[in-house]
Amino acid sequence: MKKRILAFALTLVMICGLTACGKTEIPADNSENNDSAVEATATGLAGAEGETYYMNVFVSGVEYWFPVYAGMKDACKQLNVNCVYGGTTEYDAQAQVESFEAMLAKNPTGILCSPINEEAFVEPINRAIEQGVAVVTYASDSPNSNRQAYVTSDNTNEGATAARAVAEDMGGQGSVMVLRNPGQSNHDIRCDSFIATIEAEYPNIQVVADVATNQNEQAGYDAVMSTYQKYPDLGGVFCPEGVSIVGAATAAKELGTGIRCLCVDTNDTLLDMLKDGDMFSLLCPDQYMQGYLGMMSLFIAAHPENVNPMNERKANGENIMDISIDNGLTIITPETADYYYVADYAASLGYKDVNDMLSEYKTK
Amino acid sequence: MNEIAPKPGIKGIVKKLSDVRETSLLMIIILCAVILTFTNEFFFTTANLQTVLGSISINGILTIGMIVVMITGGLDLSVGSVMCMSMAFAAQAILSGVPPLLACLIGIAASALSGLLIGLVVTKLKLSHFIVTLCFMGIYRGVVYVMTAGKSISLVSTLKDMPKLAFLGSGYIGSYIPFTFVIFALLAVAADLYARRSTRMRKLYYTGSNELAAGHSGINTDRVKIGACVACSTLAGVAGIIYMSKYSGVSTSAGTGLEMTALSAAVIGGVSMNGGKGTVAGGLLGLLFIVLIQDAMNLFSVQAFWQDLIRYVIVLLAVILDVVQETARKKKNS
Repeated sequence: MKKRILAFALTLVMICGLTACGKTEIPADNSENNDSAVEATATGLAGAEGETYYMNVFVSGVEYWFPVYAGMKDACKQLNVNCVYGGTTEYDAQAQVESFEAMLAKNPTGILCSPINEEAFVEPINRAIEQGVAVVTYASDSPNSNRQAYVTSDNTNEGATAARAVAEDMGGQGSVMVLRNPGQSNHDIRCDSFIATIEAEYPNIQVVADVATNQNEQAGYDAVMSTYQKYPDLGGVFCPEGVSIVGAATAAKELGTGIRCLCVDTNDTLLDMLKDGDMFSLLCPDQYMQGYLGMMSLFIAAHPENVNPMNERKANGENIMDISIDNGLTIITPETADYYYVADYAASLGYKDVNDMLSEYKTK
Repeated sequence: MNEIAPKPGIKGIVKKLSDVRETSLLMIIILCAVILTFTNEFFFTTANLQTVLGSISINGILTIGMIVVMITGGLDLSVGSVMCMSMAFAAQAILSGVPPLLACLIGIAASALSGLLIGLVVTKLKLSHFIVTLCFMGIYRGVVYVMTAGKSISLVSTLKDMPKLAFLGSGYIGSYIPFTFVIFALLAVAADLYARRSTRMRKLYYTGSNELAAGHSGINTDRVKIGACVACSTLAGVAGIIYMSKYSGVSTSAGTGLEMTALSAAVIGGVSMNGGKGTVAGGLLGLLFIVLIQDAMNLFSVQAFWQDLIRYVIVLLAVILDVVQETARKKKNS
């Protein structure tokens, strides 16, 4: 009997909890909850009316961002706040800073930003925070700014995971090369980590080339073709992005020597190549969780009244968070590739298409 | 007359060659190739030369178009975007079931129309090529984003059933010569001969040298400039189709930055930014020089962070050397 009562009580608590999580109404009087995280949870996390959060990206057409925004959008729906996808279509620091400032001019509650360049964003992010706009970075960081949190898949881990995957498959012998996009911090970390792991753990594998291909298929193709002339034992190519690696994989296919191409990215072409055996592996940060956790962090940064960490920061009026969150990493195989086609993914979430998934979310 | 005229001796041939602007660049390229041959055992190999030929092809087709526009006194910053747009149109058409040849023609036609639009805006609104093509660079890239919803288009599976289209980008003639190079070489030779021999092409030079004077001498300069823009974009479209075939699809960033490669190649090759001067052969030698530098950096395993610095310092030195030689040549002739 006691067990039944306990089970009933637990069920009741779970139902109440779920109801609270799904609740979207704004608490009648938020000021009452200011000092109690427990009370805030009990009434449900929800933003005030009109709160708007922006996602700021560079090269906004890149597929990588789409599932990130899907995660942010889901979090915004649950928090009952508005969210907008934006940034610059260009691969240009100045253009992204301008898009960030344009968002800032709209006086948003918070901006979830992936800065193209860490230093270029120090001043704009600090200015935003001084204006009372919460800023959390994701995917790439601006560590010298006052951004309140950083969500990423551990770039060092990505590089190391890629290195071990390719080196093990090569039997610990041969040569590998790196194609990179110098200057983009998360890409550089991945490449440096790949090289460091090979050098530290696989003494019989040489990193024979580190080429600036700058997200260009033709440059990736040429780099592999040229390097292979000098190093016929070339067994692996690592690239932190999904454009140059297409050229590399095309070259590898032409050479027919079984060069293993792997990158940290996904798109339809890469997935098709993976399924065809032209690509060795794709590493995929959990983009959805990056956006979801990014938005949750942003919300906490904008609503510090909801949390009471055991430190002096809140009392001193400082950033209460200053945390880095790891959103996880998956190695995609030919067997699991079908889960990563973005159009199918958008459909599985109930969106008409990718454009619909990227549309603005407005609270009712 | 020819029988009476004295045959030029070796001195005469050397003098004639030294008067040709491209000779100095050709000498620099030969010198580079010789140095590379002796310093790197992998440079002068069939496989590496194949890589160089393959590498020059797509950029070369874009560069021909850029040269044509530059001769008229313009420039086209939109070629990379137009190339990508051509790929997007063709790929979408292929995925919609349109026969591959027709799909490719659709892509090229879209590019030609985009060039026509640029030409009309430049001539009818009297705007500078720089501003207009800068805007269209963004507009055409935007068209690609809209068409693809920002997603890459994969033709990996589709090309398996279209061997002719796959051959266009990845095929080899006799196992040695990339088919892309054959297309490029045909276009390059045709363009160079046409530029040297055709009176119609001379109008490009007249227009670029002095548009007002060309107009007074009865040349419809607007038509010439529009024609150059259409030719440039059409060639970008052709390059796009080859690129799409070679890399089995379309990435929305395809072609980004290629306008700068084409522009640099043309300038190194002696094509004047002010119009009226330059040849197709010269511009393509400029491109060959750029490709050789990159190839050398790959063969010498130059670290990524040094590559842009080295590439552009060498390009600058080549341009300075060319200008110095050109000035000396003019002094000698005057």
